[in-house]
Order: sequence, then structure tokens, then C-alpha cells
Amino acid sequence: MKRFINDIKKYKNYILYATKAELKNEVINSYLGWLWMILEPLAFMLIYMFVAGIIFKSKVEYFPIFVFIGLTIWNFFNKMVTASVKLISTNKDTVTKVYLPKFVLLLVKMGVNLFKMFVSFILVAIFMVIYKVPITWNILWFLPILITAIIFTFGVCTIVMHLGVFAEDLINVVNIGLKMVFYFTGVFYDINTRIHNPVYRTVLLDLNPLANFIYNLRNVLIYSSSPVGLWTVIWFFIGVLLTALGIRTIYKYENTYVKVMK
Amino acid sequence: MKKQEIAISVNDLHVYYRDMKRFSLKKGFKDKGSGKIFKAVKGVTFEVPKGQILGICGKNGSGKSTLLRAISGIFSPDKGSINLHGNTISLLSIGVGFQKRLTGYENIYLSGMLLGYNKEQIDEKVDEIIEFSELGDFIYRPVRSYSSGMYSKLAFSITAILETDIMLIDEVLSVGDIHFKEKSYNKMKELISDSNRTVVIVSHSTNTIVDLCDKVIWLHDGLIKDQGDPAKIMAKYEEFMRENA
Repeated sequence: MKRFINDIKKYKNYILYATKAELKNEVINSYLGWLWMILEPLAFMLIYMFVAGIIFKSKVEYFPIFVFIGLTIWNFFNKMVTASVKLISTNKDTVTKVYLPKFVLLLVKMGVNLFKMFVSFILVAIFMVIYKVPITWNILWFLPILITAIIFTFGVCTIVMHLGVFAEDLINVVNIGLKMVFYFTGVFYDINTRIHNPVYRTVLLDLNPLANFIYNLRNVLIYSSSPVGLWTVIWFFIGVLLTALGIRTIYKYENTYVKVMK
Repeated sequence: MKKQEIAISVNDLHVYYRDMKRFSLKKGFKDKGSGKIFKAVKGVTFEVPKGQILGICGKNGSGKSTLLRAISGIFSPDKGSINLHGNTISLLSIGVGFQKRLTGYENIYLSGMLLGYNKEQIDEKVDEIIEFSELGDFIYRPVRSYSSGMYSKLAFSITAILETDIMLIDEVLSVGDIHFKEKSYNKMKELISDSNRTVVIVSHSTNTIVDLCDKVIWLHDGLIKDQGDPAKIMAKYEEFMRENA
């Protein structure tokens, strides 16, 4: 734990610089550059609005914002986990030439995707103004829930990254898993009103951390209600636990990663 | 009775490659670690006093590069220990770990920060690095567009100019064209001759080792076969290599 904090201090500059460089690099190679950070979520929002609103005739209040919040969190989690699987081998050149704590690579990815999420939430705020969403004190819950989501994501990623070094086809499993979780997460439908069976509803809403985070974020941001926080708190602790476990495992095995990758 | 400050202590170092090839899930987790063990370095002990230039020679696969990587901290020892006595260290090899999509300029900062420098320290050195690398405007282009020569020039310049207490050199003395080769060789000599700097050089070239090193270790099959005065050892080494060719 102490080592973790020291390493973060030591590599803070690197993490920040690498994050900036990677963000810049991503936009420099495309015509529309920065705009993609806004266009991509907007385009997906339109697709899901079409599917849910027109095909399934969903009647959810503030539907565009509803979808957008779901997508923002989902994209963050999805991109992080997908990137983590191959993170060590993508950075092979660095890893085989110089020692660095391997979770530093993860933190750089975190930085990049956190920035994208931040942009996405600014859009949410703009939409909220456009749709004249009433704002209440419940909005203060936004930050604790978001932090929980971030910690949980980081925890999952540390473990996925570690396993990804050893298991070549983990990416396939992860892709299927993510697709499944996506449909169970209620990014474009409301689990609470759509699923009537209370058992399924509990399973989907509470035992699926992402659905839980998204559901609560929607509640506090656009539906002026307080979060149903018990499971969020539980997921917070699970997230911390996963992180601790992941970091320990990475420290223990990180110097063998290079031996495996040939 | 300690004559000199010791910069590197390697004590009974073993590095093994378990046959931990990347497995796929369909083969199952049970395969993990069940493979053969390849012992690359098996029980090497030596000390390098501060300021010494140590050469390591040995045929291909004798464990030289593995030893170097273990000292730099990329590999963990399977047995034994390595103590750097708090010195900063860098492994000078081709490409310090560049992010190929980023520009050379950004990579200077990234590599520098990985070596433990902060932004201000790199700011001071960055012009010198660019000048030494002779890359000109290419420094603002992505590294992936570089030729292999340009790539190694930049790599060399970064590690040569961002100095560390201990430098590990893995066959770098053949970088770029003849002009740059001479220039880097001279820079190398200049860096090496600094009496505060400890250097470990891995090389096949007798000339390089005799010319630069104070002492040489001859590795054979993961063990020290002989060590001592460069000229003597290298003569023996060459003879041995010819006989066993």
C-alpha cells in the first residue's frame, strides 16, 4: 500500500504527460479531431434513442439524457476493460526496456478515458439545461457515485490486465462478457419499470454494479430523487477490495510479465 | 578495510524462464507453470565498484542480456539478489521504449520521466538531446515514421544525455552511419570516463571491451567462466570460441 502511494508520486509526472500525449495523439490522426469525443457518444445516443424510443416505444422522461448518462458510464467501463486485456503487450516496447510499475500504464489509460467521460458529462449538463431539468440538492450525490464507479472499474481492470498477460484469448471472453453485461445494464431502457419480477429486478439492478451506478446517477441528476445507496456502498467496498487485490497481484508478478511475452 | 564504494552487488543471481508461454483458455489454466524451466543465469556473483567499467562477454545465449535486464530491474531474480545501493540506473539499448505513434519530442519527455527525471530537468536537456540526435525537424514527427537508424540515434541520445549513475549498455556501439557511430562512440567514451559513473557493457567485440573496460566477466551457460583483465580474458575467450566453433 505504501509502495503503491510512493510509486504514484514518483510516476505522477509520467502519468500526466503520457495521458496528455495519448489524447493529443488520438485526435491528431483524424480529420475531425476533438469533435469525435462529442460526436461519438451523440451518434450512439441517436441510435439507441431510435431503437428504444421508436421500436420499443419506450416512454421515459428526458429520454435523451437518460440514454446519454447510461452511455457515458458504460463507455468508460467498456473501453477501460477492453484496453486492459492487451495493455501490457501493447506497451511491449516500454515494458521490455525499462522498469515501471505496471499499473502506471493502467493509470494512463484511466486518465485518457476519464477525460473523455468528463467531456461526456459536460454534454449531459448542457442537455439538462436545454431540457430544463429541475435541479435539486440530490445532485451532490453525483460525485460519490461516480467515484465508486471509477474505483470499481479500476479494480476490475487491474485483474483483467494481469490475466491478459497470460491468457491469449481472454479478449474473446471479455468481449462476450461485456456484450452480455451491456444488455443487462439498461443503458437504453429502464430496468426499474421494465422488469416487473422483483427477483430479476434486484439481480439486474443491485447485483450488476454498472446498472446500479447508472440507475443512481440518473436518479440524482435528472429525476430529483436521492440514490438507493446500499448496494452502491457495497460495490464501493468491493471495488476497493478488487483494487487492493489487483495491485498486490501486479506487484507480485509484474517482473515475470516480460518473460512471458516473447 | 573497504577500499571503494560498491555500486552494484550481484549475489548468487539466478534467472529462470519458466515455460510460461502465453496459453489460451481452451488449453486450460492447468498448463500454467507446468512446463520446463530454462535456466538463463544460474548463480552469478560479482560486485562492481563505483566508477568501474565492466565488460561482459560470452557467446549468444550465455545469459548476458538476461543478466543486464535483471540488473536494470526489468526481470525479477528467481533466486539471489541485486543491490544497486540507491544509484539511478538506465539500460541503454535500441529504443528506450518509445510510443511509436507519438513524436520524437514527446518521447524524449516520456523516456526521461521513466528514467526518473522531472519536466524541468528534461526542459534543460531537451535541446542538447535534439542536437545530438541530428534529427532536425523529424523530432516533431511520429516515431513510427523514423528509419531504424533515426530511431536508434534518438534512443542513444536520450540515454546518453540524460545521465544516470549506472549505465547498462547492450551492444549499442553500432548505431547509425559511420559518422554517427564515431560520434556516439566518442560520447560513450566521454560518459564512461566520468569517474563517478559505473558502466556495464555487454559486447561481442574484443576491441570494444579491451578499449573501454577495466575488467571483464566471461559468461558461459549462465555461469561466470572467467573474469579479470580485459586483454587476457578476451584472448582466452577468442581462442575458446574458435575451438568450439
